[in-house]
Amino acid sequence: MKRRLWWRSFWLHLFLTPLALLWLAPLWLMFVFSTHPETAIFSTPTPILPSNQFAANLQSLQSDTNFLRTLFNSVMVASIYTVLSIFLTSLAGYAFARFEFWGKGLLFSLVIATLTIPYFAVVIPQFILVAREAKTLLAILIGMAVFGGIAALLAWLRFSPALGRVLWVGYALAALAYLFLGVPALREAMTFDFRLTNTWWAVILPSLANSLGVFFMRQNFLSLPASLLEAARIDGAGEFRIFFRIAVPLVLPAMAALAIILFLASWNDYLWPLLVLSDREMQTAPVALGSLIGLTRVSWGGIMVGAVMTTLPFLVLFLFLQRYFIAGITAGGVKD
Amino acid sequence: MKRSATPYLFLLPYLAIFALFWAWPILESLLLSFQNTRVSPPVWNLSVNWGRILGDAAFWDALRNTVLILVIQVPLMLALATALAVALNSQLLRARGFFRFAFFAPVVVGAVAYSAVFRLLFNQNGAVNAATGLDLNWIFDPVGAMAVIIITLTWRWTGYNAIIILAGLQSIPKDLYEAAEIDGASPWQQFWRITVPSLRPVLLFCLVLSIIGTLQLFTEPWLITNGGPGTATTTLGVYLYRQGFQNINFGYASTIAYAITLLALVFSIIQLRLFGRES
Amino acid sequence: MKRLLVMGAALALTVASAQQMQGNPNLRGEITVWSWDIAAKALEANIPGFNKLFPNVKVRVLDLGNQATYDRGLAGCAAGGGDLPDVYSVENNEAEVFWARFPNCFTDLNTLQPAASTLRNQFPAFKWTELTVGNKVFAMPWDSGPVVMFYRRDIYNQAGVNPATIRTWDDFIAAGRRIAQATNNRVKVGVIANGQDDEWFRMLANQNGCFYFNNEANAVTVNQPGCVTALETVKKLIDAGIVMQGGWNEQIQAFKAGTVATSMFGAWYEGTIRSNAPEQSGKWGVYPMPASRPGGVRAANLGGSALAIPASSRNKEAAWAFVRYALGTTEGQVTMLKEFGLVPSLLAATRDPYVNQPQPYWGNQRIWQVILGTLGNVPAARGTQFFQEARAIMVKTQADYVAGRFPSAKAALDAAAQQISQATGLPIAR
Repeated sequence: MKRRLWWRSFWLHLFLTPLALLWLAPLWLMFVFSTHPETAIFSTPTPILPSNQFAANLQSLQSDTNFLRTLFNSVMVASIYTVLSIFLTSLAGYAFARFEFWGKGLLFSLVIATLTIPYFAVVIPQFILVAREAKTLLAILIGMAVFGGIAALLAWLRFSPALGRVLWVGYALAALAYLFLGVPALREAMTFDFRLTNTWWAVILPSLANSLGVFFMRQNFLSLPASLLEAARIDGAGEFRIFFRIAVPLVLPAMAALAIILFLASWNDYLWPLLVLSDREMQTAPVALGSLIGLTRVSWGGIMVGAVMTTLPFLVLFLFLQRYFIAGITAGGVKD
Repeated sequence: MKRSATPYLFLLPYLAIFALFWAWPILESLLLSFQNTRVSPPVWNLSVNWGRILGDAAFWDALRNTVLILVIQVPLMLALATALAVALNSQLLRARGFFRFAFFAPVVVGAVAYSAVFRLLFNQNGAVNAATGLDLNWIFDPVGAMAVIIITLTWRWTGYNAIIILAGLQSIPKDLYEAAEIDGASPWQQFWRITVPSLRPVLLFCLVLSIIGTLQLFTEPWLITNGGPGTATTTLGVYLYRQGFQNINFGYASTIAYAITLLALVFSIIQLRLFGRES
Repeated sequence: MKRLLVMGAALALTVASAQQMQGNPNLRGEITVWSWDIAAKALEANIPGFNKLFPNVKVRVLDLGNQATYDRGLAGCAAGGGDLPDVYSVENNEAEVFWARFPNCFTDLNTLQPAASTLRNQFPAFKWTELTVGNKVFAMPWDSGPVVMFYRRDIYNQAGVNPATIRTWDDFIAAGRRIAQATNNRVKVGVIANGQDDEWFRMLANQNGCFYFNNEANAVTVNQPGCVTALETVKKLIDAGIVMQGGWNEQIQAFKAGTVATSMFGAWYEGTIRSNAPEQSGKWGVYPMPASRPGGVRAANLGGSALAIPASSRNKEAAWAFVRYALGTTEGQVTMLKEFGLVPSLLAATRDPYVNQPQPYWGNQRIWQVILGTLGNVPAARGTQFFQEARAIMVKTQADYVAGRFPSAKAALDAAAQQISQATGLPIAR
């Protein structure tokens, strides 16, 4: 029996070890190449140990494209996006998990349906909205902020049900009127030059409509004991207070997992930033790096330095926080 | 629970963004697909794009390439991912942390970074030819270029799927295996009789993710082979990008986008029909 | 097809010897220029001369790469005209899509001072065709790309091949075989980007008086006899095993490594060879492209660009001054010719004494005489606004034909014409 187990273990490692080395090879070579001059990269045999040209390659990368600046852009875009997205998706996920309300089923299926709709179905209108219709977008966003504020005010004032109903209907009509009359008027009134392309917001805003995050947070809020929240409700705590003081602290580990995944997704995103960022000073690191691939005058050593610099922090992070990465990845996979 | 505005207030910020950047665009894409956007200003024309797509050889090429990746790369990757997950889950495994890192690490690497690396590795003077003694011009050979794309995708996504499958494995009750062990079932029999059937929902989930991912494939073929040589690695995503953002034909690009969406729908329906009861 | 009476007639008519320009220290500001590769470097080389006349205009040239310049220009126009530079480089063949689709994206150069129309006679008339819509002029001609063969004298000598005897493509194939033999198959006589581009097809088609579209831009002509011959020749070259396949970068790698003895390209490739392989100085030479049949045309054009000023530019006057200096003065154009081998469109610059000088890098050959001498024989060809779409289809068709997926070149091009017609809505010419 013991002997058989030993053989099984032997075959297992014999199969897995070369495969693991093969899997690590691209990452290792990426690192090695980033320290070699280009001639060495294309020489035979291929160098497999690091050399000392990292700084020189970084310098050439920095002169090809302002790479350090693009790294800064990437950090800022990913950070702002992550914070905002966590906020929005937790609020929405909480609503879907903890409240019964009219239209809940329909809204939730709408949100979840987009998980299976390819991103391409929206990319062109998104581009038109952000690139060409930036003023329309601004007018809509202003309207959303104003009407959101009014809604909060109406809810806070607690009118009698009858009056409340009238007020909400009026509110809905006003919002529609704003959308169809106010927005075009406001857009025409904006005579100043307003562009969203080549700003961080152009990258951040559209990706905030992240339905996987809503689904993930809903699952986690669902798993909280209902009695706990109910007790707070009986004590007379407001819903927002319950959310921030009781529910959120309990799902913090899940939030951390989601934050890591969102940050990583934003950090590595390519197609959308490519479309809306053309100014070199405003590009994110992947877009800048992608623009160098295939250019004659650009050295591969420099490109590898860029690849290393966009990858290494996450590899290190992954070593220590693997649990959270994995929790984020398995989010939708295993149902509870 | 009493009716109140509160839930809507929780939802409002998210739904506002959702309506603006997803709900409306889905509709507008459809409207755009019925416009001739190659004149300035665009005009309504119900057949210009939908009539074109059916006879467009380049579209069918892109579709064929995408389906080729679907039927070759996806099963290959999922089989390998399942094997890896089982291996990584084995009690006999030593240096588990090392192996997990080796296979899972690609998950955090950005598409641009690994595309650059693989393009370099498969250069005619690159490391792969040097290591194998081959003299293949991978990127400029139709079959070679497709092979590079498939290898790259497999490298990046096998670990990702293995993570999900591993989570599924760990939720299979241990006593099932213990009982089988007592009955004298070999590991091979245990794998086919217990593991695979228990994993079906998880594998189905991975399959759905992979299919949707493949239908949207853009970055790797764009950066590694630029869709070439010829159209050998032009995927639907690359073709859509070319029509939309190189030829600036938003109407036709939207038509392609809807064709991709319809494909995703068809695949989803097939899967629901085939496996609906289990998931 | 019409022959371009470029040099001869035009030269005789133009009286002024060299085009010069008045400076203006009061013109201030900063302008950004988008361009690519050698073209970007050539514009950069003009900044010192420009700043002598306009000391207070700061010029910044960005090298985006050829494809990215085009893509980002179109995307910028599609986005409503923002995010564009003050001066934009565009290839003549690819230019029309901008004016057709986004008529408000670029400045009508006739609205600037001095109006572009006053510069008309200083350039060959055909250079304006793709840059003009009605009375509006959207860009100023820059260089042209008369096609020649750049060859390694030493390798040809070693194989006993005399370039003067290469008169037809059949001669060229025979020469390629001898060179392959003499070098143990190590050295090829050309790099064809089969599957990635169709530039050899375009050069050969143009030589035969054929192109994707007719010069009225109202019909697809890609399946006409000149194009059929061109495609057949491309396959013959590849089948003979005397050319290698690769793109722009591979070609540069190859001539640096000495594994290719000939490059066929527009004359602007001169600067690419010279600046990438300075150590091969004296080993290179130039001869006219072979003809499809004995006594046939030995000239074609590939590329050739223009500069435009986006409507969103905040400093159009400074941008226009730079464009006029770089492209409209003999000094500006000859600087770019000397440093980077860009063949001037400006007629006065083509008569500069420099073009008659022997070039040390090219074994003291008077290469600019050879190159400019072909200009008068180049058949006209027009890119039209559908150039890129037609090109994408043709790249694929060529690759398929070379791979043997069509019974004949005619069948391949009939299929291509069908697709181009379907994609563009233009009829196939009879």
